[in-house]
Amino acid sequence: MATLPGAALPEEYVSDVYEMPEQVTLWQDAWRRVRRNKLALAGTTIIAILVLMAVVSVFWTPYPVWKQAVGPTYAGISAQHWLGLDASGRDIFSRIMGGALISLQVGVGTMLIVSAIGIMMGLLAGFYRGALDAAISLAINIWYGIPDLLVVILLVLLFGRSLGNIAFAIAITRWMDMARLVRGQTFALREREFVEAARSTGTRNLVIIFRHIFPNALGPILVQATYAVPQAILFEAFLSYLGLGVPPPTPSWGAMAADGFHALELAPHIVLAPAIALSLTLMAFNFVGDGLRDALDPRMRR
Amino acid sequence: MTRGTLIYIIQRLLLITFTAVAISSIVFIGEHALLPGDAFVSERPHNPRELALLLHHFNLDLPLPQQYQLWVTGVLHGDLGESLVNRGVQITPLLVRELGTSLELGAAALIFTVGVGLTLGLFAALKQNTWVDYVASSTAVVGYSMPSFVIATLLVLVTGKLFYIWTNGAFYYEIGWGKPTQILVPAIALGFPYASIVARLTRASMLEVIRQDYVRTAWAKGLQPRIVIIRHALRNALIPVITILGPLATGILTGVVVIENIFGIPGLGKEFIDSILNRDYNIVIGVFTFYAALVGLVNLGVDLLYPVLDPRIRY
Repeated sequence: MATLPGAALPEEYVSDVYEMPEQVTLWQDAWRRVRRNKLALAGTTIIAILVLMAVVSVFWTPYPVWKQAVGPTYAGISAQHWLGLDASGRDIFSRIMGGALISLQVGVGTMLIVSAIGIMMGLLAGFYRGALDAAISLAINIWYGIPDLLVVILLVLLFGRSLGNIAFAIAITRWMDMARLVRGQTFALREREFVEAARSTGTRNLVIIFRHIFPNALGPILVQATYAVPQAILFEAFLSYLGLGVPPPTPSWGAMAADGFHALELAPHIVLAPAIALSLTLMAFNFVGDGLRDALDPRMRR
Repeated sequence: MTRGTLIYIIQRLLLITFTAVAISSIVFIGEHALLPGDAFVSERPHNPRELALLLHHFNLDLPLPQQYQLWVTGVLHGDLGESLVNRGVQITPLLVRELGTSLELGAAALIFTVGVGLTLGLFAALKQNTWVDYVASSTAVVGYSMPSFVIATLLVLVTGKLFYIWTNGAFYYEIGWGKPTQILVPAIALGFPYASIVARLTRASMLEVIRQDYVRTAWAKGLQPRIVIIRHALRNALIPVITILGPLATGILTGVVVIENIFGIPGLGKEFIDSILNRDYNIVIGVFTFYAALVGLVNLGVDLLYPVLDPRIRY
């Protein structure tokens, strides 16, 4: 409780034992709520393990990811090979580690591109309104009618199957959710008093957009960005499952599952290992997204 | 049907035609500009005369604007040209036949999605915070995070390996298409992630609706529980669910690409991947045209469904 300057309180109201309530910013408050959310914590833990596996796989894996016949083909789970061996006798645990790196790179890369495109489009459409908004909104609506997986496959075919191209192709078909969200936020924020105050002091439009509006929309943007990661990972898995992802011998969970599908009855561990890894990853990101959404905007809780 | 609705439908149909031609034009130009003549590169070497005849047969020897003009004229007459790999195969009838298969699979998946999703969501809401709710809700969370090919794998594993003797092979999945049991497993695999979304939405909106005053009134005047829940509560709880039917149907239509390739179902999605791998670009363009039109038509169908279910909406 701050007292107004000049308005001195009568002596009896001023107490020495009065303490300021602890000041909590939005982000500290959100962090507290996330910590209380068990699912979000579990998700964070899984993501942390995943990142660790991915980083370690750059320097070291139990066996080289590409090396065939490190043991008997189709061998099951054992002490030397934690998740068994695949049809070519490659160590599955090593390949799961390598696949984590690919999935995270595509997921995070796509998320960054989606955010860049979506935030730009959303801020411009929401702030300037009028013809620009109409054009961007029309583009968003047309884009929603495009069969996304087919476009990704075509783009990857036309421009090559590198990791960057895959991330870019997915981002090009998935930027609309972010753009629509940011547009809505900007619409609401641009009418607020602090924007009016900024304008009254002669602040330039670009400064208003990036210094006043953008930081205030950061919460919902963060939630949307978190949801964009599992979507991209899923797309990459679909692509590599169909044999159109990152070319072999680079390990990718989708391709590993596709390889294992042929030997499903003989050696189910080959397909189950990447399938479980993929599902856990997607679940983890979705949990963290849900947790962030609830933490940053308690009114949205469902 | 009022006159306004008719005009609305005609406008939408024109827009769908425009979108389909625009999307496939982009694909056409992209393929011809970025991959010139690539279709015949992978084949055994031709002698120059043969290659020239071949290029002439597919109009590939003409300048690009002229090729495009010929192609657009064809599309507007419903002719998508001839397969580059299987010579003499006309693409339009081929794709129409495959479209039927894909639509059958998609419709089965959509029925599964809506049926299972609504049931799960409804019971989770009615038995909130009991084991029914927890089982239904966690099924939904897990299903949402499982790619269709993972569900397909698990289903094949369960029906084909674990329960094979128990069910006497009734659900054992043989690769192929045509038998009624062969539609079941792919449709479930395709629909399950979307069923989870429907379940989550239904639960949330049902929880909101059953606390409303008019539902309490319905209970208070002694209506049968079945009538209160289905006619009063569920009907209103459905509105948010209907709004995602469009994206849902689009998602299922694109999901068909993956599922058809897993199960070897001869539909549009399998044709798409096969023709991409075969470099049969004419078919790739054709599939895009079909998909763009299909997605547009499905969304139009969903939009026309809104006023039936929610009389407040009018066109």
